[in-house]
Amino acid sequence: MEGRCVMRLRRWGAGLLMGGYLLLLSWGIVGHALKIPAAGNTLGYFVVWDMFCGWQAFDNRTHFIAEDSAGNYYRVQEPWGAFQPFGHVDRVNYDVSNQLAPRHIRNVLAHTDHPPIDRVYVVQEVWPKQFNVPDRLWSNYFHEPKDQQSYFNLRAICAADGSLIESNPDWYVAQGLKSIADNPRLRTQAQGASPFYNTFFNPRMSSESNSSFSTADGGLTN
Amino acid sequence: MSVKKGVKSLFTGLEQFFFAEEAPYGLALVRMCLPTVALIPMFRRFFRVRELYSADGCPQQLAELFGNGRLLPELPAEFAAALYGVMLFALICGVFGFRTRLSFLIGAPLYIYFNMLDAIGTMTKYSVIAAHVLLILSISDCGAVWSVDAVLKRRAGGGGLSVLPVRVPVWPARLIQILFAAIYFGAAITKVQTPAFFSGEQMRYWLVSNWNWPNPIGELMALSPAMLMVSGYITVVWEVTFPFLAWRPLGRFAALGMGVAFHVMTIFALGLWIFPFICTTCYLAFLQESDIAAIRAMVAKLRIRWEWLGRPRVMAAMLLERRPVMVPLAGIWLAAGLVVAVGSVEADYRLDVYGIRSNGAPLALPAMDSATVRQMINSQEPLREKDKFFSFDIGSMVMAGQLANRRSQFAAGEAIIAQCNLNPPHEDLWVECVIQDAEDRVIDVAGQFVTRDQLYAKFNYLTAEKLVPGQYWVVLKSSGQEVSRRPFELTGDAVGERGSEGLLAN
Repeated sequence: MEGRCVMRLRRWGAGLLMGGYLLLLSWGIVGHALKIPAAGNTLGYFVVWDMFCGWQAFDNRTHFIAEDSAGNYYRVQEPWGAFQPFGHVDRVNYDVSNQLAPRHIRNVLAHTDHPPIDRVYVVQEVWPKQFNVPDRLWSNYFHEPKDQQSYFNLRAICAADGSLIESNPDWYVAQGLKSIADNPRLRTQAQGASPFYNTFFNPRMSSESNSSFSTADGGLTN
Repeated sequence: MSVKKGVKSLFTGLEQFFFAEEAPYGLALVRMCLPTVALIPMFRRFFRVRELYSADGCPQQLAELFGNGRLLPELPAEFAAALYGVMLFALICGVFGFRTRLSFLIGAPLYIYFNMLDAIGTMTKYSVIAAHVLLILSISDCGAVWSVDAVLKRRAGGGGLSVLPVRVPVWPARLIQILFAAIYFGAAITKVQTPAFFSGEQMRYWLVSNWNWPNPIGELMALSPAMLMVSGYITVVWEVTFPFLAWRPLGRFAALGMGVAFHVMTIFALGLWIFPFICTTCYLAFLQESDIAAIRAMVAKLRIRWEWLGRPRVMAAMLLERRPVMVPLAGIWLAAGLVVAVGSVEADYRLDVYGIRSNGAPLALPAMDSATVRQMINSQEPLREKDKFFSFDIGSMVMAGQLANRRSQFAAGEAIIAQCNLNPPHEDLWVECVIQDAEDRVIDVAGQFVTRDQLYAKFNYLTAEKLVPGQYWVVLKSSGQEVSRRPFELTGDAVGERGSEGLLAN
């Protein structure tokens, strides 16, 4: 009798566990499908299956360059050998959002010998991905010479402790912004539409004093 | 009445699905194989514990990437090394099935902890899958067969080797199976939400990315748009249908067979090595008792000797039996774990990851040439016209809106399709396609706006209208600059004498 009771309890426990687990998996799928922000957090990472969420057309590497007070430059790279977690690319390059950058700078500078560092430049290097194709395939497929060119973008300037001094847009974002700003009509409209703070009309005060100001001009003061 | 019957039969079906009893051979195989694969990258990182996972290095927590702050404690290097050693030890014990539940209850949380500490260089979706399965193994009876625990239990019970295996409810195996159905279904949703996946563009960029290990077949595939489109559709269809086939008597062979083929292909096409093996080892959870019986019969028929596979666990069990009676097995486990922890601290000290002890001082930072640095820092180089384009091809067949073949010879009267693929992000472009003869005389010019959202543009040319057999070029121009050119030969007889306008259209 007691054995049966224990067995029933174990079965109920297992059922609850399974139910909870299945709910969690379902939450991940539904949250991801409907792009609910609740799934976009640390726990969500464990139940959202967004493998292949998009790759860019340009390859990307990040360079850290330290400058001392004498104007000498140093590569802020692990002299003991950078860790390459998933292939032949240094770990710091997998940090697409540059969140690791301050810690990387701090860690390398803390464990290396160097003169006092004034600032560290974070430079993004970008090139079109077709140049990753091996030479043999290139000559078969492309008819042009393989003249790869890298583009550099100063992403940020940091202090020696990794704290941010200056930040610039990511190369991809900068390209997007440039392509939009390349429109003379938009440029003119943007220049003409200078934002300002209206000190003449305040809806709350207007409402409280039951003023006819807002109705006089149809509320289009600004 | 019939509704009541239906509900009852549904519950009976569910009960049968989750609580049917079987010998957990499939789970035991997962127990042996999955941690072995998951341990490969973790062993590589053992030499970098101080740098990747300790307060003396630069860990980047997963929670920080999501703006949730540093949820986990970052331990001093010595503690991190000790815990890392314990994690490796626990998972190895799990593989052999020595104090299986205790091993996974300690190993799985530590595995998750270390992965979450380094979201940049350790945590990936394969570690998430492994974490799920390790947690499921920790609450399962995966150590009931083919384990040191099972041998010890059998020998303690005085039974011989012929004792029937333990039968337990199959729900832990079902959870792993459902996990994979969810993974594939979720992955399909991701792909459906990525339109450039179906036109092959995103897949192509993935295949020419050098972020993983070498992928020679992937680079070749990247240059075959038709193959990319076909494989993209096949992948999504398989991922969506997986949950509906995986529990069908014959369907599961199709779903799992396709899965194995898909994951093996990712080794050569994408340069992934751990991910495919994590997934395929988990497929072992789909093995039923009857499958194992069939495999055993086949092995016996082929006269393959496999008893030696069980020798390590039997020998380990015999060794453990020689312990003093008063010492419990868990005590042996804990003592061994302690030795491993101390050994790991010592290893971390001797490895001297930053090279400070072996060098006698911190290593020097490598200097850089000032001219190179200034060029990198001050660079304002605009994107070359040709770098806005991935490729330019001519052919005659279109599939899913994209050029599906490449040709350099056309019969008079055939239509030529020229297509350029663009590298986003790019601005709105004016792109021209020019037909020139062998002496570079312009025969036809057509142009079109290519807006910033477009990933490709096509031009159709009807050869019958103007061309006579001979050698020609199709030249691609952007903003008036030549970007690329492709030669083609027109063969056969000229079609009629029309003298009409050229018909290069877009």
